[in-house]
Amino acid sequence: MRIDAIDQRGVYSPLRRFMKLILRDKAGLFGVILFLLIVLIAIFAPQISPHDPLQQNLRLSRQPPAWQAGGTWEYPLGTDNLGRDMLSRIIYGTRVSLTVGFLGVLIASTLGLVLGMLAGYMGGRTDSFIMWITNLFLAVPYLLLVVVVASILGRSLLNVILIFGFTNAPLFVRITRGEVLRIRKSGYVESAISLGASQGRILFDHILPNLIGPLLTVATFEMSGMIFYEAGLGFLGLSVPPNIPSWGNMLSAGRQYIQFSPWIAAYPGLAIVFTSLSMNLLGDWLRDVLDPKIRRSA
Amino acid sequence: MEKKKIIGLGLVFLVMVGTGTALAGGGREAPAAPVSTLRVAVPTFPNSLDASIAAERNAQNVAWQMFDSLVWANDQNIVEPALAERWDISDDGTVYTFHLRRGVTFHNGEPFNADAVVYSWERGTQPHIEWSDRWGRAKSVEAVDEYTVRITTEEPDPLLLGVMAQHWNIIPPRYTQEVGDDGFGQAPVGTGPFEFVEWVREGRIVMRANPNYWREGLPRVDQVIFRPIPESSTRMAAIQTGEVDIVNRLTVEQAEALEGVPGVNVVTYPIDRVFYIAFNNLTTGVDQPTEDARVRRAMNYAVDRQAIIDSLFGGRAQLATGLMTESNLGYDHSIDPYPYDPARARRLLADAGYPDGFEIGFAAPAGAYTNFEQVAEAIQGYLADVGIRTSLDIMESGRYWDLEAEKALPPLFGDSWSERSGESLPRLLGALGGWDASFSAWSDPTIDDYLARIGVTVDQDERAQLYRELHQFMYDDPPFIYLYVPETFEATRDNVVDYMPRAAEDYFLMFTYIR
Amino acid sequence: MQRYLLSRLIQSVVLMIGVLVLVFFIVRLTGDPARLMMPRDASPENIQAFREAMGFDAPLHVQFFNYMRGALTGDFGRSLHYRAPAMSLVVERIPATLELALAALFFALVVSIPLGIIGGTRPGSIWDTLCRGIGLIGQTVPNFWLALMLIVFFSVELRWFPTFGRDGLRSLVLPAIALGFFPLGKFTRLVRASVLEIRNEDYIRTAYSKGLLEQHILTRHIFRNVAITLVSIVGVQFGYMLGGSIYIESIFAWPGIGRMVNEAVQARDFPLVQAIAVFTAGFVVLLNLLTDIAYAVIDPRIRYEN
Repeated sequence: MRIDAIDQRGVYSPLRRFMKLILRDKAGLFGVILFLLIVLIAIFAPQISPHDPLQQNLRLSRQPPAWQAGGTWEYPLGTDNLGRDMLSRIIYGTRVSLTVGFLGVLIASTLGLVLGMLAGYMGGRTDSFIMWITNLFLAVPYLLLVVVVASILGRSLLNVILIFGFTNAPLFVRITRGEVLRIRKSGYVESAISLGASQGRILFDHILPNLIGPLLTVATFEMSGMIFYEAGLGFLGLSVPPNIPSWGNMLSAGRQYIQFSPWIAAYPGLAIVFTSLSMNLLGDWLRDVLDPKIRRSA
Repeated sequence: MEKKKIIGLGLVFLVMVGTGTALAGGGREAPAAPVSTLRVAVPTFPNSLDASIAAERNAQNVAWQMFDSLVWANDQNIVEPALAERWDISDDGTVYTFHLRRGVTFHNGEPFNADAVVYSWERGTQPHIEWSDRWGRAKSVEAVDEYTVRITTEEPDPLLLGVMAQHWNIIPPRYTQEVGDDGFGQAPVGTGPFEFVEWVREGRIVMRANPNYWREGLPRVDQVIFRPIPESSTRMAAIQTGEVDIVNRLTVEQAEALEGVPGVNVVTYPIDRVFYIAFNNLTTGVDQPTEDARVRRAMNYAVDRQAIIDSLFGGRAQLATGLMTESNLGYDHSIDPYPYDPARARRLLADAGYPDGFEIGFAAPAGAYTNFEQVAEAIQGYLADVGIRTSLDIMESGRYWDLEAEKALPPLFGDSWSERSGESLPRLLGALGGWDASFSAWSDPTIDDYLARIGVTVDQDERAQLYRELHQFMYDDPPFIYLYVPETFEATRDNVVDYMPRAAEDYFLMFTYIR
Repeated sequence: MQRYLLSRLIQSVVLMIGVLVLVFFIVRLTGDPARLMMPRDASPENIQAFREAMGFDAPLHVQFFNYMRGALTGDFGRSLHYRAPAMSLVVERIPATLELALAALFFALVVSIPLGIIGGTRPGSIWDTLCRGIGLIGQTVPNFWLALMLIVFFSVELRWFPTFGRDGLRSLVLPAIALGFFPLGKFTRLVRASVLEIRNEDYIRTAYSKGLLEQHILTRHIFRNVAITLVSIVGVQFGYMLGGSIYIESIFAWPGIGRMVNEAVQARDFPLVQAIAVFTAGFVVLLNLLTDIAYAVIDPRIRYEN
């Protein structure tokens, strides 16, 4: 059924099909719009930021947001403890979060795809070995693994991306392998084999396209998770260096002021919540669209 | 059948939750409060309650409430008698004879005598002891008779008494041998004002007043409970709700916010740490304009340090006049900090042959000190105003300190140095010791001479005079841009009396009481 | 059944050996564990002395052999910071962490099961919206942020609960809510989905519409499905909570393993970090084993498939 759906893609205009699917689900629509908005914010950060996110003005530190007493529209979301514009920092933080999330997921899914397909397709010892390694990583509580590795490697953007990329790969391995096994068992691929299709052809023509759907869904959720966990690392002082305006660093710095300048921690917190929300809604919607069984029940 | 299984499984789960909770939490309640209890929040938890093994300041503070040394340094850093009633020093300054206080017993009843001092020193110098180098400042410790101890040093050591006061906790030989070092660190016995009651790991440390304490009338509370709270916003919440009586290591903003809270007093004091921008005349700074004293003075005039303090630290820091702080021996109060005077800076630069300024490298560590990156950026701006163009490199702190130890940082580099001995000698040696010191990039024969003389002058007044002269010399020919001495922020409930933390962030709760 | 149990047991043991190997190599990720564990101003001589004392100067295979031999007897060396056997430090903190995790789990289940069932049985209703909302919020609000907010509101403003510490039941409430919020979201979503799923099974729908299925039988089916779903996820969530406790225990000054992770990492006390990693991984492996067994008990098909 899924195979049919994918194969029919060429028949309809993909855009029309997308519009039809997205308009049916209000929550999904909201998620997609929010997500696109966040991506646009990240891309056009230099154009839309009212200030330089690193420019401090100590005389104007901890100004409240514009609508509170003492706030000005010069700094719509107020300023942080060093007088830097909160809005600009949150806008630039979008770049850090999306970079971490996107590249992290790219590394994790690429690794996961290759190893998962290898495991699922080769079977036997290769499969056992890859799955053993995978389960190994899954046995150590995820956050503990991330915190320990981050503390060993030290603070840098690249390290954060690599850590998330590698520690998330096992999940993708597991899902890829499961899908490969499922697809291989389906009559569709079995008939292709019996018709004498080559191994490579089966992998690339039949199995790979069918993997994209489930992996895309998982990738969306995982990206949201990475953005979430970047904030967590920032809170422990293990994320990107402090001179990069990431939401995690902002939250970490803002927590000292939570009682008397709550906006310093509140807005990066909200940014994380909204980004995470958009991706979760997007993921829910993708799963509904790509998995007809659940679609019907939801 | 199915249903039963599920119900069964659910029951198993509930029982698991129930017993787990009961096992873990059952029957453990806070002990009933006696007449007067002081509850102190500490930001980290002690690794050990043995003062010779307690690794950092907070652990030391907890441990030292239970111990005494032979001598004690009072709030003015003057060494006073403690377990030793008096002492004589030989003419060459290497032999100390201590006459011990009689009739003192350890909390477990063991008598305090010369053997206990000798045993404490022998154990303290073993390599696995955290502060073995401090114990090791004495070459030998011998019992002359039951209440006389002779301590010998290799060379005259003017810091010996201060170090003893800070690090030599006298322990009972019999008990320590019985329980071993680990056991001692978990349930220590000393002669101090408080005796150990219990240590619930990472939960609480409870001590009660030593009824036989040799200092008459002390301590003034019946019980002290230390509570570890690592998160500073939680510490702030806990002092507001009155769950603890004393908190330390707050941020300046938290202190400001607490100033308006009824029932809470904010305690602020400068700590013994100096921030500076160092010059280099050993490696990267050779043949640079900064070898000229006029240039270095110009740079001290060029930076508006008060503005930096006002904006970045809410005015809560003091201008440094040298590498010494007010609490240090021989600090010259008549020296005023360099004023902000960019015109004078330009004149000095012109005199030195740089009317249009010059270019020079500048580095600072990231994330190591509060707002220090911003301080460095501000300094870069001020230097540019008088024509000194710097390329500021803010580096990850681990790499920064590696480079600093290799003397491979640019000719201008920022850092800070704290000291706990009450004297500035270790800091001066560390930051100015030339090739011999791992974090120094400066060498000046006059300074070397002063430091060598201070290092062998046992007489406190003579030493103070040498410090004063050096202070003036280093003001006129500054090897640093002197920045600031930071303050630390603590808070107490307003019924806490006589809580007096000192510049090294140490405190003695025997004087403190609850009104 | 016995064969299934035995094979799962062997798998678990092999996995644990793998975890030991993994932890051994993680600490050597930067190549020089001695440099990693020593303070920044340690002299080269001190580092060398430390390297020798810890046996880091031995060839890698010798180090590995010594490590494994120690590990198999429960000896992970001494904590550098606390100067005590690392594993006994971990074991000491188990009750506090277990108490918190179980309380969080309890909170999450007590709220999510009714909420998810109500939401799932009335899709599209206001309850369903609430249910989906909680599900999303639970998964998008960072727990440490929630923890700080709970302290400000319930401790400082209302003075209902203590701000920190482990002093009886009242002090357990806020940390348990903060830690249980993420699983709460997850459980609510899953319970709702599993209720929807069973209601939409063709045979159930047909039977129900024809009046062949009575309400209480439907209810039974729903509960069974919910139970299966939850059993499969509780183990995984427990692992998550061990991680999440790093934050919650630090903020609430809760004397458990999570807080010790934070302190050990800050103090660069890697023997202790090793012991914690191995212990928690062992716990998760054990939990997964129990989950599988519970699963096999509920759903007999599983054991034959494997």
